[in-house]
Amino acid sequence: MKHYYHILKRLLLFLTILASANFAYAQSQTVSGTIRSQDDNSPIPGVNVLIKGTTTGTVTDASGFYTISSEEGATLVFSSIGYASQEVPVAGRTIIDLALASDIQSLSEVIIVGYGSQRRADITSAVSVVNMENIGDVPASNVTRLLQGQAPGVQVRQTAGTPGKEMEVTIRGIGSLGAGSAPLYVVDGFPVGTSIGQSLNPSDIASISVLKDAASTAIYGARGSNGVILITTKTAKEGELNLTFDATYGVQNVPDSRRTKMMNGVEFAQFKHDSFVDKIRYFEKREPSIDEVPLEFRYPEQTQYSTDWFEEITNQNASFQNYNVTLSAGKGDIRSLVSIGYLDQQGAIIETGFKRFNVRANVDGKINNFISMGWNIAGSNSHEKYGDTDGRDALIGRALWTDPRYPVYNPDGTFLNYIGGTNGVFGAVNPVQEMHEMDRNINQTNILTNGYLQFTFLKDFKFKSSINATLVNAHLKQFRPSILAGTGFNQPPPREASLYERDHESINIAADQILTYTKRLTDHSFEVMLGYSAQEATEKNLIVTGNQFPDDIVRYAQAAVKRNIGSDSNFPAETSWSLLAYFGRVNYSFKDKYLLSASYRREGSSRFGANNKWGNFPAASVGWRVSEESFIPDYTWLTDLKIRASYGVTGNNNIGNYTSLANMLPSNYIIGNNIANGQRLGRFGNALLGWEQSKQTDVGLDLGLFDNRLIFTAEYYNRVTDDMLLSIDIPVISGFTQTISNIGKVENKGIELALDYRTTVNEFNLRSNFNISFNHNKVLEIRGENDEIWNGGFYSVYNVSKVGRPIGMLYGFRMIGIFNTDQEIAESPTQDGAIPGTYKYFDANGDGVISYDQEDMIEIGNPHPAFNWALTLGADYKLFDLNVLFTGAQNYDIMRNIEATTMNMDGVFNILQSGVNRWRSAENPGDGRGATSSTWKWQRESNSRYIYDASHIWVKNISLGFRFPETTALKNARLFLSAENLFLLTDFPGSNPEINRRGGVNLGVDDEAYPVPRTFSVGANITF
Amino acid sequence: MNKKYITLSSIILFFAFSCSEDFLNKTDPTVLVASTYYQTEKQVEQAVNGVYGQLQGQILNQWQYNEFITDNTTLDFNVGNRGQGPALEAIEFWQINASTPNITGLYNSSYQALANINTTLSKLPGAKFSDEKKQQYEGELKFVRAYYYFHLVQYFGEVIIITEPLAVPAEAFAFEREPVDEVYALVKSDLNTAISFLPVTHTSANLGRATKGAALALLGKVHLTRKEYAEAIGALNQVLPLGYSLLPDYADVFDPQNKNHAESIFDVQFQGDNLLGEHSNFIYTFAPRGAGAIINFPSQNGGGWNTPSKDIIAAYEAGDLRKDVSLQEGYTNKDGVWVAVPFINKYNHPHTVLGATNDNWPVIRYADVMLMLAEAINEQSGPTTEAYGYLNAVRMRANLPPLSGLNKDTFRDAVLTERRIELAFENHRWFDLKRTKNPDELAAFLNAYGVKEKSDPTTSRGGIPFSSADFQFAPYEALFPIPADQRRINSNLTQNEGY
Repeated sequence: MKHYYHILKRLLLFLTILASANFAYAQSQTVSGTIRSQDDNSPIPGVNVLIKGTTTGTVTDASGFYTISSEEGATLVFSSIGYASQEVPVAGRTIIDLALASDIQSLSEVIIVGYGSQRRADITSAVSVVNMENIGDVPASNVTRLLQGQAPGVQVRQTAGTPGKEMEVTIRGIGSLGAGSAPLYVVDGFPVGTSIGQSLNPSDIASISVLKDAASTAIYGARGSNGVILITTKTAKEGELNLTFDATYGVQNVPDSRRTKMMNGVEFAQFKHDSFVDKIRYFEKREPSIDEVPLEFRYPEQTQYSTDWFEEITNQNASFQNYNVTLSAGKGDIRSLVSIGYLDQQGAIIETGFKRFNVRANVDGKINNFISMGWNIAGSNSHEKYGDTDGRDALIGRALWTDPRYPVYNPDGTFLNYIGGTNGVFGAVNPVQEMHEMDRNINQTNILTNGYLQFTFLKDFKFKSSINATLVNAHLKQFRPSILAGTGFNQPPPREASLYERDHESINIAADQILTYTKRLTDHSFEVMLGYSAQEATEKNLIVTGNQFPDDIVRYAQAAVKRNIGSDSNFPAETSWSLLAYFGRVNYSFKDKYLLSASYRREGSSRFGANNKWGNFPAASVGWRVSEESFIPDYTWLTDLKIRASYGVTGNNNIGNYTSLANMLPSNYIIGNNIANGQRLGRFGNALLGWEQSKQTDVGLDLGLFDNRLIFTAEYYNRVTDDMLLSIDIPVISGFTQTISNIGKVENKGIELALDYRTTVNEFNLRSNFNISFNHNKVLEIRGENDEIWNGGFYSVYNVSKVGRPIGMLYGFRMIGIFNTDQEIAESPTQDGAIPGTYKYFDANGDGVISYDQEDMIEIGNPHPAFNWALTLGADYKLFDLNVLFTGAQNYDIMRNIEATTMNMDGVFNILQSGVNRWRSAENPGDGRGATSSTWKWQRESNSRYIYDASHIWVKNISLGFRFPETTALKNARLFLSAENLFLLTDFPGSNPEINRRGGVNLGVDDEAYPVPRTFSVGANITF
Repeated sequence: MNKKYITLSSIILFFAFSCSEDFLNKTDPTVLVASTYYQTEKQVEQAVNGVYGQLQGQILNQWQYNEFITDNTTLDFNVGNRGQGPALEAIEFWQINASTPNITGLYNSSYQALANINTTLSKLPGAKFSDEKKQQYEGELKFVRAYYYFHLVQYFGEVIIITEPLAVPAEAFAFEREPVDEVYALVKSDLNTAISFLPVTHTSANLGRATKGAALALLGKVHLTRKEYAEAIGALNQVLPLGYSLLPDYADVFDPQNKNHAESIFDVQFQGDNLLGEHSNFIYTFAPRGAGAIINFPSQNGGGWNTPSKDIIAAYEAGDLRKDVSLQEGYTNKDGVWVAVPFINKYNHPHTVLGATNDNWPVIRYADVMLMLAEAINEQSGPTTEAYGYLNAVRMRANLPPLSGLNKDTFRDAVLTERRIELAFENHRWFDLKRTKNPDELAAFLNAYGVKEKSDPTTSRGGIPFSSADFQFAPYEALFPIPADQRRINSNLTQNEGY
């Protein structure tokens, strides 16, 4: 805490110094006037009126009126978002009225960049701005949804349909093998981390900028390597007083087309029947008698029950509700905004859901001519009811493989509490009962607050001191009553009841001091920024577990016979990190034609080894606005042409907090029949551990045609990440099998194209935006020439990162067919234990033996899409508006690992309906996609049988709106219909081609996850 | 005017930039930092305790490599879960390859423990307490180090020798396997240090620590393994006057009410009946998969591993009192039905907390020393009266008639059989077989057992046939493979022939 105190003390010192300073006032005359729109002659409030070359300015009020003190010979600059700015010399006049022309995507639009903002025209780096208008009326419970399809090079995957869940965002490919590839999120200037979490209300977002190249992200130093997402929340619009009410109500369903078809009760009994028969036929070479089939399978058609467990755990018409009320007051020097939001999203899976209550308040404005301030506080409280849903041995997986020949309920209406478990079929918990009987809740309170004081001194200097903090308090509780069967196979109830509770609190504080100097001369324009930032975050966890409860009624720790209090390595009792950074940036433009920007950051982090705490992150970019050159003819169709290039160095510090330090861990023993404390080494210290560095080159072109009705952007980039932070295998003689090390090199290079076209045909306003990105990922080095990193398991897919190939390629046996006869087996490379009907694998190392290990495993799939694209189409006609979003990804593979279970033929699991076409005999070899049921071997090992092309097109959202004519009482009233996740066009047989359950470098594995529902919603926006 | 503000700016920047560097120094408050550890006596004592603590983990898994792999035990075949195939079952069915995870686990955990021992040893000179106490700790650490290397060399043959902690991970990539003779030289040297530094007995508060007797007995075993019979006899004879004796009742040897008794020379210590994490759970691994065998917890299923084979059950002579102590041929399930799946009963004792048994693991006990002496003397001088004396003392306790009239070869067989029965399921069998048979003899011996087990399995296989490669033992399999994971990252590591 003492560091915060230091920061505060320093702040007070600045205040004292500045308050005692003298400030100069300029001599002036008064100019006033009214600004109207060229389109409809209505007054425009909130137009910035600036005396050129100074920072002196004002804004128009609600009636478009302004007054400003100005020298006679000055020039006034009028600018407003959505309008082309104009410069008007005062020339002695005292009244200047003006009509501004609307500008679709104005070059003078101010874009938020790291530690500041820039005019779009001046930007020389790769920055994508999410156009909030393009998003449509999406039922978004998480702010990451707003990014989907909005910027080239930004891949946003909805890996699961869990209510409130953050989507997986990757900018320009996987840049790290061990330290994560998630971007840095910055909310209102506060770097909150590589996850945005679930607390932010999407309705509170005013704008999102995505920083992609090193020139824009290097100012964030060691956290900039995977890109930066800058989120700005809403503030009151100048001159406006608004009360806005938004409401959305929707229903969510998992469409039939996205459900996996399993065998029903009769089909499964038939399958089991046949498998008993086939086994005797193969192993004993005789025709079995009917008595040899267990009674329960002997007459499949007499199977009494048939339960579709997936159907039973899904909700019908799960509701989605979202309400927001915003009051914003922008009149006068101090503007304020207050908003309240409430979200209630039921899950597509029963007994799951997410509720969130948000409040936000901010004030900002001028205290006097040289001090301005702003303060923002946002609080949220959320309640999540979750299930252990994702994975084969979790709810969704179990709902697929659990024996369908049992009812959900006993005749008396109670749950049947043990399903299957006879004649080789795995016994399992009743999935419906588990969801109903368990308590699984997360309550989280999150406060994000930031504020600044800004001093303007001399004419051109500004000093901004800001402080930011997030405070989080979360409580997780999970209770599993004794009445439930176990989570493993064949664990009938009653079991020992268990309780797990975790209390989490964290505080993350940052303080920034920024000094800027802005000077605009006739031909030259400078902006110099110097800054200093300190940040510290601390997290505390307390875990309470309880076992052996006398009953299932009192579900608190005090009732447990066995109790334990502690923490674990994922949720340590206390952990913290800190960073310090000095940074600076110079932007220079000459005649608005030649643009130059350079930045530098020196940053220290507590996470790195004693010898490598500090890293340097320089970057530079140049831009040339060709269209401003006099040698370019003044074509009316050419609005803007800019060529730019950048280069910079960024870092990634996203490893554990104390990874560089060797520590001791308890290793107790019994001495003298008593517990004796013991200690052993816990980790290999690495004092040399340092920054992962990315060097990125970016070349871009911005072209605006026909008054920017058509805007085209193209980028080429090449990012090489070196000194990669990687948990590497080390010889165990060191005492450890792994250590984090700076080793390895990965390249991501690619092309991004974006095209935005807007036009008006008769009374139709048409908008379209298309973006596409091609990324190529390649491992250049891992600890020498031929090394590779294997993740995963023999039965659960390997992701292998190998020099010369992309990260995390899918590895396994190549399945080249199904053995039909013993003779075929004898003539093939040895597969020990193979029988007719098992898969035939490729002898990759050519030694004549398919060994039951990794020796013959090869690359069988590529989880990286060749390209990702998105298309937004929009149209307004009179009072109607329409918005459609398509997203897609092409040419990539997913290992549908769940099928190693749902096509596991040894009769322990329910199988896919298509399993009826499995191999049964040489005469009846089936469709070549399913093995014999007579053995377990050579079918469920990681192999190419389970690889599918996951190329897909999503019709992600269609929104249709109707706007009521404006009245004096009602500024805006609009109704809308929206369909989210409407259609999925793909050959991929799983429910979600964006699945990435394992995350990190374990890409492209589908072991089932929370299904992504289709949502139909209606809503209204009303502004008074 | 301008100058004033430039000065002002400089002042601001100066203050801003002067934040202290210790803002960036963060250590984990929840654990001890290794760099400042090993300084006081208490810290070193805890580090030594930590070394013993790791021995617990080692011993909980050792049955796989010393009993399960042999003719002593098999498994309660799990028809439903075939996922164990490449892991544990590979050991039982002799399908071990360089990727078998349980062999990798054995190799890794051994060297992880050695790194801890080496680190602690290297810190001893710099620690601040009496030399006398330091010697005791050095003796204990070297005893345990010798134990690990002696096991490693028997499992893997040539192995890496590392006796110092590494400064940086990069150093670890340069090591090569050393000749077996070098490994044994280190083992002997460590044991000799231990013998000279360790006390004969510990105070009751220090029971469980290694003693001189333990080091002598282990040295005797090392010499016996190296066929250095005179040296073996020399070392083992020094154990005799240290006060150990056979307990009159074989059952008392394993009774947790009776820990660290006159017969025990070195036990790995456990404590059950509480949730402090220092308990053993052998019976939970060894009991049949059906419920009913575990004392006090008859509704608990066992793991079904390390199941006594029909072969060992048949090897008990009639009237041998040890049989019912060591194993049971079945159990009564909750429906009152007798289920004929045998299980190891040596570590099945009353305990009050589910899963937390109180059983220590006997590593070296006096009966072992007596049988080693009988073996060494026979090899040295034939079946002398003295040799018979040791062998028959063990048999008499088991209520078996004394043996007589054997020649050197039949006496050797008798000792091997006696060891199999007396020390059944105490992790001696694999090394006993390897010590008394060359790889070809071992292969012939085990394959004969395999044929029997295949034709008449100890437990039901639920209709699943044996694979043709099951129970096929080749002579090269007398040594385990060096794990593929280790060879992949260290190209200096050679592989044992055959793998």
